[in-house]
Amino acid sequence: MADVIQLPGVVEQLKLIAGLRWNLLKNNLQRKNNRWDLIGMILAGVTSAVLVIGIAIAFYAGTYAFLSRNRPGWMALLFWAMFFWWQLVPILVAGFGANFEFRNLLRFPLSLRAFYILGLGYGFADFAAASSLCWIAAMLVAVATARIQLLPVMLVVSVLFILVNVTLERVIGSWLERIFANRRARELLVGIFVLSMVSMNFLNPALQRWGNTGTRPKILELLPYLSWLPGSLAGTALASAAAENSQAMLAACAGLLLWVAATSGLLWQRYRRQYLGEELSESAAPAATRRAVRKQVFSSAAPGLLPPPVAGVMRKEFHYLTRNGFSFITLILPPVMVMFFSMQFAGVNAQLKGHGMSPQTFFPAVMAYLILILLSPAYNSFAFEGPGIQSYFMAPVRMRDVLVGKNLFLVSVVAVELAISLSVLVWRLGFPGLPLLLSTIAAAAFAVSGQLTIANWSALSFPKKMEIGKLKGQRNSGVAVWTAFGVQILIGGIATIVLLAGRWLGNPWLPMVVFAGLTAAALGGYVASLDPLSNLAEQKKELLIETLCR
Amino acid sequence: MNEIAIRTEKLTRRFGPLTAVDSVDLRVNAGQFFGFLGPNGAGKSTTIKMLTGLLAPTSGRMELLGLDFQRSPIEVKRQIGVVPEGMGLFERLTGVEYLHFVGRMYGLDRATSEKRTAELLDFMQLADREKTLIADYSHGMQKKLALAAAVIHGPRILFLDEPFEGVDALAAGALKSLLGRMAERGVTIFLTSHVLEIVERLCSHVGIIHQGRLVAQGSLEELRAGIPGEEGEKKTLEQIFLSIVGQSGSEQSRLEELTWLT
Repeated sequence: MADVIQLPGVVEQLKLIAGLRWNLLKNNLQRKNNRWDLIGMILAGVTSAVLVIGIAIAFYAGTYAFLSRNRPGWMALLFWAMFFWWQLVPILVAGFGANFEFRNLLRFPLSLRAFYILGLGYGFADFAAASSLCWIAAMLVAVATARIQLLPVMLVVSVLFILVNVTLERVIGSWLERIFANRRARELLVGIFVLSMVSMNFLNPALQRWGNTGTRPKILELLPYLSWLPGSLAGTALASAAAENSQAMLAACAGLLLWVAATSGLLWQRYRRQYLGEELSESAAPAATRRAVRKQVFSSAAPGLLPPPVAGVMRKEFHYLTRNGFSFITLILPPVMVMFFSMQFAGVNAQLKGHGMSPQTFFPAVMAYLILILLSPAYNSFAFEGPGIQSYFMAPVRMRDVLVGKNLFLVSVVAVELAISLSVLVWRLGFPGLPLLLSTIAAAAFAVSGQLTIANWSALSFPKKMEIGKLKGQRNSGVAVWTAFGVQILIGGIATIVLLAGRWLGNPWLPMVVFAGLTAAALGGYVASLDPLSNLAEQKKELLIETLCR
Repeated sequence: MNEIAIRTEKLTRRFGPLTAVDSVDLRVNAGQFFGFLGPNGAGKSTTIKMLTGLLAPTSGRMELLGLDFQRSPIEVKRQIGVVPEGMGLFERLTGVEYLHFVGRMYGLDRATSEKRTAELLDFMQLADREKTLIADYSHGMQKKLALAAAVIHGPRILFLDEPFEGVDALAAGALKSLLGRMAERGVTIFLTSHVLEIVERLCSHVGIIHQGRLVAQGSLEELRAGIPGEEGEKKTLEQIFLSIVGQSGSEQSRLEELTWLT
């Protein structure tokens, strides 16, 4: 029989878990042995504190102004703002921030009640909740200063509002955890998130076009339907108290209470399921059936033209691209951004009138922007290999074959992207003339070939692991970013000088000829770099394997 | 058969102040089923990584099938197959795609690669998961796939780091048969495993590494003969292993300290 005679109380368990979180944080900093992390955290802490205090002042000022100017109905705006903050920030943190799986605590002998209370404790401890509590405190002070007779109502409303938010946030978090446990759902959500962020770029053009044609009144018509939601209920309770309409105030408070009951009930149900051992695993048990494999038809992108390892790497890259929602979206992005820029800065319907660009500037500028986006993954081209990186070093191939396979695939993708984007530009702005079109294409060829050698060196020297379907920590190493930045500035500078020289000398074909020469030189450098880079890969293989297999 | 498949001379690997593998002199004849044993952290995986080109030695020489690894790495790699620690799989490929990729990396033509892929998946009972990503395979399925990838090009030496870990009994039986048949055909198999019963059943020769040093090497009979005991008593590999690297006396005294548990 186990020696555990008496289980620790909830308070003791909270203390233990706070200690656990502290140790995790402390050990993480020690493991990385990186004082920059600590400095970064301190800076982030100071920035966050300034942000929270600044917004708290704004909440105080807003509350004071609404109440002293006899507009208590507007208090709903403040509650709504806080509601969105409280519910949305934890979702973003779930994607980008540190991940501590709360349900792991279930391995310990906790009662369901203790598990629930710990869950709520976690809900109060996150950044969104802590900052919102500060802002509610600021609002309470403002109410006490402006109209002290409303303070009791404000206190009740605040408690109910806090309970609604913390329980709702935990319910959403719990559902997100369940959804994110499934790889496909996770990737789909990441894709939707990125697309929705990109789509926001079109809000301004859309509002410019349709904003004054009856959309706003229709949105305003929807507002009364939001009155049953927590933000509006909290505002209504306060406004009714200010108008001494106790019936309406009680009704609004009852509404909030109903919300508390509903979200608490939902949270209890979710935690109960977790407590009873909800299965989140997505990996099905292997079926032990045996049958012959249907012979798969492999259609190579380059049948017989390339050595088998190069063709194999290209095919593998293709499969990875089709299964990486984020990379896939970066392919959709260029034509979309070209469309966006052409709507904003150029063409007959440019939104920023008086600040537009001529096609002579716009064509090369957009191409440069696209190459900037499309080439940046090359600076960390082994990011998604994971443990598979070992295959390259176990197989009887030199790294030059792997690099050539990866580069050829990237060049094919860039070529397709640029062709689509050029077609969109021609459609939106009209044909820019053959010399400019060919010069732009030649400049793009130079920019790509000129970067590949340095990008390969960067990928071998400064690898950083990335995982498909995750947003957290998905960025290249700092050195790789600065290398890419420097090379792109250099190439952009050279390209600009060549284009301007063509204009000054009045020879529209000169840039194309110069860029063709530069491309040939860059390609020569690229071929010459392959063997030294293979040797570098041998020297760096331990770093690559350690970094990517971690 | 006296051809030496694997020979190392003073093979050493240091990680800063730690010497993980210390002057190891290995001799493995062609066609031997060789078990490489040692406690956790003894240097087994580091040795395999050096022998397969995943890690450069700090000093010493390695010869595989008479070829100097440092001088002819590509030639050597063509002759060997590896299931490394962590398996080295591309998790975003399906089993079919991965095996075909590995086949191409070893220079197999398309038709041969496809044929062998199909046969190996069928043998490993993975044929019904041809469209499943490796990321969604169970650990045992990943292990079987890694083994299939290690043999797709018909290697002459096979390095296996914990090949039976996480594999179910049914599949383990099939794998043992496959490895046995390969050894009979002259393939040298070099495996590490913590399951000494498996090593005892499969391997004809054993090497034991402890704290980075090769402390014993030879056939099971030779190792048994080197261990003191009663005449006629047939010692198990576990007994041999414990008598060479174990600290049974101190373990006993440590156990006695755990009065609240034992």
